[in-house]
Parts: sequence; C-alpha cells; structure tokens
Amino acid sequence: MTTQPRWKVLLAEDDSDDAFFFFDFLHNRPDVDLLPSVTNGVEVIDYLNSALQSGALPDVIVLDQNMPKLSGKETLQSIRANQRFQDIAVAIYSTYVGPQLTEECLLLGASLVETKPVTKEGYNKMMDSILGVVK
Amino acid sequence: MSEPKTYEQLLAENEWLTIQLEEANETIQAIRTGQIDALVVQGKEGHELYTLKTADSTYRLFIETMNEGAVTLNNEGVIVYANSTFASMVGMPLSTVIGLSFNQFVPGISGDAYRNLFSRGWTEENKIEIELIAPNRPIPCQLSVNALELDEGVSLSMILTDLTTQKESQQLLEENNRQLARINEALEVSNHDLLQFASVASHDLQEPLRKILIFAAMLRDKHADELPPDSMRYLGKVIDSSQRMKRTIVDILTYSRLSTNIDSFAMTDLNVLLADVLTDFELLISEKNARIQVDPLPTMEVIGGQIRQVFHNLINNAMKFSRPGEPPDIYIRCTPCPSDKLDTEPDDHHCCISVTDNGIGFDEQYAEKVFSLFHRLNTKDAYEGSGIGLAITKRIVDRHNGAIKAESREGVGSTFIIKLPLRQQTNSLLHDYSTEMESSVG
Repeated sequence: MTTQPRWKVLLAEDDSDDAFFFFDFLHNRPDVDLLPSVTNGVEVIDYLNSALQSGALPDVIVLDQNMPKLSGKETLQSIRANQRFQDIAVAIYSTYVGPQLTEECLLLGASLVETKPVTKEGYNKMMDSILGVVK
Repeated sequence: MSEPKTYEQLLAENEWLTIQLEEANETIQAIRTGQIDALVVQGKEGHELYTLKTADSTYRLFIETMNEGAVTLNNEGVIVYANSTFASMVGMPLSTVIGLSFNQFVPGISGDAYRNLFSRGWTEENKIEIELIAPNRPIPCQLSVNALELDEGVSLSMILTDLTTQKESQQLLEENNRQLARINEALEVSNHDLLQFASVASHDLQEPLRKILIFAAMLRDKHADELPPDSMRYLGKVIDSSQRMKRTIVDILTYSRLSTNIDSFAMTDLNVLLADVLTDFELLISEKNARIQVDPLPTMEVIGGQIRQVFHNLINNAMKFSRPGEPPDIYIRCTPCPSDKLDTEPDDHHCCISVTDNGIGFDEQYAEKVFSLFHRLNTKDAYEGSGIGLAITKRIVDRHNGAIKAESREGVGSTFIIKLPLRQQTNSLLHDYSTEMESSVG
C-alpha cells in the first residue's frame, strides 16, 4: 500500500478571516500539507526564493486576487517569469471573479481561477479541483 | 453761308430736338434697368453697333438684386460704383455713397486688415473678414476683392457678404456643442459612478456578507446541540437572509454588467445551449416531476452566455411559479415571426422563441411591469427571488436587438415570447467599458 501524497499548499491571503476559513475547512484533509500562510505577493516571492535553496518548493499556491503590494495576478506573473517555479500549480481566488480576470489569469498560466467559496464543502471542492490539476 | 432760320423752322427744329431728347432719356432708362445690351447708332459711315460692355444686362441685374454688397473702388479707395444692397447695408442713399472713401465704413479695429487687403488686392484675389460700420451696429462681413480692368482703367471690385446670420448660428452651434460636451461629461461621470457602484456591490458588499454566511454556518454546525431551538431558527434566518442578499447582489452585478461589452456575438446552436441549461435543472425537474418539451431551435448569432441566462431565467420562473400540486408542464417553441405587415411573407430574418408554462400566471395588466427592475408580483415569502431576473432577461434581449413580451392568465399559465434576429447587423456601436470595469473590480 502506497502512502497518499501530501501536497504542500501555500496560501497568500491578507484577510485573516479568510485565512482562518481556509485552514479550518482544509486542515483535516489527508492529501494536503498547509504551509504557514503569507499575507501578500511580495512575501510569496520571498518565500519561493528561500524555499528554492532548501529544496522545499510548495506544490500549490493559492493567491487572493486583492492583496496589498502585489495582486494575485501580478504575483502569478512573477512566479511564471521564473523557470524554476514552472511546476507549481497556481490558483487565484477572489470574492468576485469576472470573465476578464479569469481569461487574463489563465493566459498568464493560472491553473484555476475561482470565486471564494461560501461553505466548507465549497472549500473542499475548490481544493479538489486544484489538486486535480497537480495530479 | 447759312440763311437765318425762320421762326417756323426753329419751331420745327425744337420739336425734333425734344423728341430726340425723349428718345435719349428712354434709352438711358432702358440701359439703367438692363433692358438693353447693345445700341445701334447712325454714324457718318452708316449704322454703328455699340455693345454695352459695362452694362451687360444679365450681370447688371444680377449685381443689383444680389444679397451681397458690391462696390468698385478707384486707386484712391474712392467708391465709383455701389449696388443698392451695399447702400442699404451702410444705411445711406445710393447717390451719397458714390464718391465717398471706402475707408470711412471700416472701423479702426479692421483698419489694418483693410489697408493690407487694399494694397494687395490689385494683384491678387483676396478675402478677409471685417466689420462694416452701419447705422445700428457693425455688420460682420466677408470682404473679397478682385482687380477689374475697365475702360476708365483698373479698379478694385469688392463683394461684401453679410455674416451676421452665419455668425449667429455659428455661435449658437458652438454654445450647443459646449452644452453637449458638458452633458456628455456628466454622463461619463455618472456612468463611471455606476460602474464603481457595480464594483463596490460585487466586491465590498459581498465580502462581509460572505463572512456572515460562513460564520453563521459555522455557529450552526458546531453548536447545533447546545443551541435552543429558537436560537437555531434565528440562525437559520440569518443564513437565509444573507443568502438572499448575496443572490440579489450577484443579480444586480449581472444586470449592470450587461451594459458593458465584454462578450461577443457568435453563431450559436441554441439546441446545444438549451440542453446545457436543462442539465442545470435536472434535480429540480425530477423533484417537481416537471415535463419539458422542446421544439428544434435555430442556430443564430447571439452572445451565448447571455442567451443561456435568458433560458435559465425563463425556465426558472416557469418552474418556480408552478401551481401547488400540479407538476410544471413547460413547452419551448420556435416559430417564424409574423411579419409587421399583413398579407406578406413571414419575417425570415427573425425567429420567435416562446416559453409556455401551466403555472399560477398573472393578471395581464402587469404584462409590461414584470420586466421592470425589482418588480415583484408575489411576496418573497411565497416565491423567493431578487425581482431582477426578468429585467435582466429583457435587457439581454434588447442588447440582441430583439423584443420580449409576456402573455398570461391567472391560474392558467404564462407565455414569454422572445423575438430575436438570426443575424446581428453590427455591434460596433456598443461601447466597451469592460477594461475599466474589470480593473476596478479585480
């Protein structure tokens, strides 16, 4: 019997309530390993650069679109600009997601663009879809 | 030697001369009024023909009757000829005008321009705008000059066009344009405000609402055992109300987004589109034991996502407003549209799609009102909804250059008929606000 892989998931979220929901609804999943979250895009890039040295890059990054300093889309752009981060699945979520944002982010290489869920089930469904891209 | 003439002879000569004078006067009058353009005179070597070079009758009449002032100046700037229009422009009798210097009709402000024109006008055609001193107030004129070679030498002919009316309408036009620009600016501001509002509604209102929903659900799920039944009921109300508000916000956003032009028209098979919509209703259809019949639909040029919404809203209504205890029976038909005129072929550029149900129906006096924003015919308690669905539907149909109407009988059912063009003429007139909106929403 093989052990189920645990995907390392990094959340970038400036809203503490939303970060709380994310952890509260997902921490029991056996297939994810939730890394301590960061609060903006600049911290994501810093995190990735230091993780590169320790060899422990996350498998999945979930970016809130509306964050100070670097928005989700801008952070995605920076991640995709670095060849060594190509294998990381990047999901963008926001309270409201319009067709234009979706299209732009998918073009920039997002794996998923979603509206923030409203229920525990919603959060788990979102995580299922993201992991579906990784697997 | 000539004999002294007798009295009789002198009398006869006098009479002859009187007749001659009368004839000459008549001729002069005829020349003046343009009735004559040539004269035949008995000379020493027989008849001689004199054509009236300066008095070509057609042009003389033309100049006398035209609306422009016409003036001829000699090389000192003295008026040697003027037509009556010019005389009435400056408010003087014609006889007084002749012999005056043209300078005295030019006010100081136009002096330099006139002097410049006068010096250059002898060698080249020229036009300027000046003011002409007149009895009431200065008349704005266009002054065009041209050198003319006449028997007496070269003179300067000038045509003066009264620009008063033109200036007035120009001023009016400019004022109207300024006003239009102001209105346009105000509209842009208000449009921007609306988009901002949509952005606020979509994001800033949804964010706290989402948290209310999630925290309330957490409270309910985690403390279901500890909470007294009343508190559980109140919590349920909090969640229901929040959900309703969330739907309303999403609907308002959808409605306001319809004025932007994010999506584009494409040839779409409505059968595929409708089948897709119906899968969304699968659960509800089996729950309500509904029967849905669908005619074959055409392929037409539409914004797919929007027409999908139209079908969704109409079918949703048909399911929602069903009669208690009576399974919904919904029929989606497609018929050629009756032509606007009688006795002609049916209109083959449009098709009419109707959605008929056997639901509660409504009083047909509300057939127009049901499409207005936030208009509800039933209480929210009995039938949930934001009151925006049909307004969205109508707006979409309008944007497709179509029309929608409702027919209904209370207790029997309703039919919603949509007339849509199979092809869109052009959608270039639709303005694109999408970039602005998306960037503000994020």
